[in-house]
Amino acid sequence: MVFSGAGSGDWSAPPDLYGRPRADRAMLGVARVVSGVLRLSRRGVRRQPVVRPVDRDLRLVVRAVTAEADGVVSLRLADPAGAALPPWRPGGHLDVVLPSGRCRQYSLCGDPADRLGYRIAVRLVPNGGGGSVEIHSSVGVGDVLTVRGPRTAFPFVGRGPYLFVAGGIGITPILPMVHAAERAGADWRLVYTGRTRASMPFLDELPGDERVSIVEGMPTAAELLATAPEGASVYLCGPPPMVAAVRGEWGGALHFERFSAAPVVNGKPFEMQVGVGGPVVPVAADETALTALLRVRPDAAYSCRQGFCGTCEVKVAAGAVDGRGRALSEEDSMLVCVSRAVGDRLVLDV
Amino acid sequence: MPDPTDKVVLHARDVRFDWSTVPAHWLPGEPVASHAMNTLHLVLPEGERWFVRVFKQALPHIRDEELRADVLGFIGQEAMHAEAHQGAADHLAAQGLDPAPFVAQIEWLFRSLLGDRDLTGPAEHQWLLERLSVIAAIEHFTAVLGHWVLTAPLESAGADPTMLDLLRWHGAEEVEHRSVAFDLYMHLDGRQGRRLRAMVIVGPLLMWMLVRCTRWLLAHDPQRPERPRWRDYRRLARRGLLPGPRELLPAFWRYLPRSYHPRDEGSTELAVAYLASSPAAKAAG
Repeated sequence: MVFSGAGSGDWSAPPDLYGRPRADRAMLGVARVVSGVLRLSRRGVRRQPVVRPVDRDLRLVVRAVTAEADGVVSLRLADPAGAALPPWRPGGHLDVVLPSGRCRQYSLCGDPADRLGYRIAVRLVPNGGGGSVEIHSSVGVGDVLTVRGPRTAFPFVGRGPYLFVAGGIGITPILPMVHAAERAGADWRLVYTGRTRASMPFLDELPGDERVSIVEGMPTAAELLATAPEGASVYLCGPPPMVAAVRGEWGGALHFERFSAAPVVNGKPFEMQVGVGGPVVPVAADETALTALLRVRPDAAYSCRQGFCGTCEVKVAAGAVDGRGRALSEEDSMLVCVSRAVGDRLVLDV
Repeated sequence: MPDPTDKVVLHARDVRFDWSTVPAHWLPGEPVASHAMNTLHLVLPEGERWFVRVFKQALPHIRDEELRADVLGFIGQEAMHAEAHQGAADHLAAQGLDPAPFVAQIEWLFRSLLGDRDLTGPAEHQWLLERLSVIAAIEHFTAVLGHWVLTAPLESAGADPTMLDLLRWHGAEEVEHRSVAFDLYMHLDGRQGRRLRAMVIVGPLLMWMLVRCTRWLLAHDPQRPERPRWRDYRRLARRGLLPGPRELLPAFWRYLPRSYHPRDEGSTELAVAYLASSPAAKAAG
């Protein structure tokens, strides 16, 4: 079937829906309407508004750096002139651009009613991606950081009852939720686990009653969930094994922060040419082809970063692909968010 | 003034549905209501893939990084909606109701008629903006319908749990991302005339399309249900099993004033609460 016609010219509609031997009259009518709209749309060239760039970056000064526990510091960020900051809700986070240019997300762990400062807390991870090392070693009082947000990726809703489960630094988004639940008079419990009490921040900011269970070591999912009130919604933030264990065990409502991209493991570096004759970008062992592609094509489309949504599929002109992720809509293509080169070079047809 | 923080970071969910036990009349004894909602499986996969194609074209024009992140999240969610409804459409075919003839028309509508039309230069850009305003108008209704399906008494009418989870997961994500298409249109164009034109066309056309699809499904159902009548619709709307004129007509008017913003439609809170208990969303990685 060819339904040709460029611009607003003639349109052949598809066959009649009920099998009569003619073009579908209703669809011919739709084609006329759409062609009229297409003609009208061209008049939009006149008085076309310009797209105004929106700069949402905040430049905030570090007002305080506080040791909260072994290996955990908190930063208090404020407007240099003392202006009120954009509001946020429990479960909100900031994107913080570090002096090196690294961008990291940190949950807001202060009081949403305090409009003059944001508090974030960072655990030192010596073998991590370097962001926490940078904050611990080279960010001090008086430094100015670029911050984006706040945004909410872990929304806190409802009226309870709640069971909060926090593992280690996972207490950061949970802490404002506990306080909000307490203020609202909701029925809640908290289970907060860590290696040792000395490594667990904000213990002194939690109510000192039986609703709070502080646990050293790693309890089982059943133990974590044992104090849940009847009909509770679970809010969970902790290391991936803990999240997986609770997800497998809990049958009720479960809120947890999803990780958007898994780290690249056992990746080999390769070169990727973006378009035949286009620029060649190196893909490092620990980054995805998508990350490299975005350096030269910042408008490239992607979404899930895990290989299931299919948005980032691109045609491959040359090179063997180590294909991962869901089935592709076309042969000779790849999902750049998870797939890599078999050899040392790929050419994308973009 | 609504709370500006009532907005969540969008991400696609890797949902799977097992259709093997879902009957064609998944609302027991209600073929009209079942098929009125089965229309979504025929119309949405192509429609949402079209959203994705148009939004991908809009990406290079965006000058707002937060909006870009919203648009990328929206694209992934829409792509998953298309896949999920495609699964339900394939299941209809497996039950002897092959949707291909209807889907062929929908394909023609979204791929040819509303496609790129081989335009260039300013005409191409204006057609992109026009289609963004059309998507914003459609997304207004998907938010209204998403809110409706989250609150409709479908369980007590015995709805199949898998189908209900598909509809409510989808509805909840529509509510979650209800502002994105509108914000994108306002960022790249924002002219009121184009917005009104889109709604005046989209509102009636969308309703007509869904009615036409419902009739077609009922006419081709191998279980040979009775011919649908308007009084069936009135009865179902009264029972809350289909969205009624009292939901749909005011929704049309609400879109028209300059003060309209989708954040006033539906409830993020309700959507987030559903997604926390949806079997498919909970199982998704």
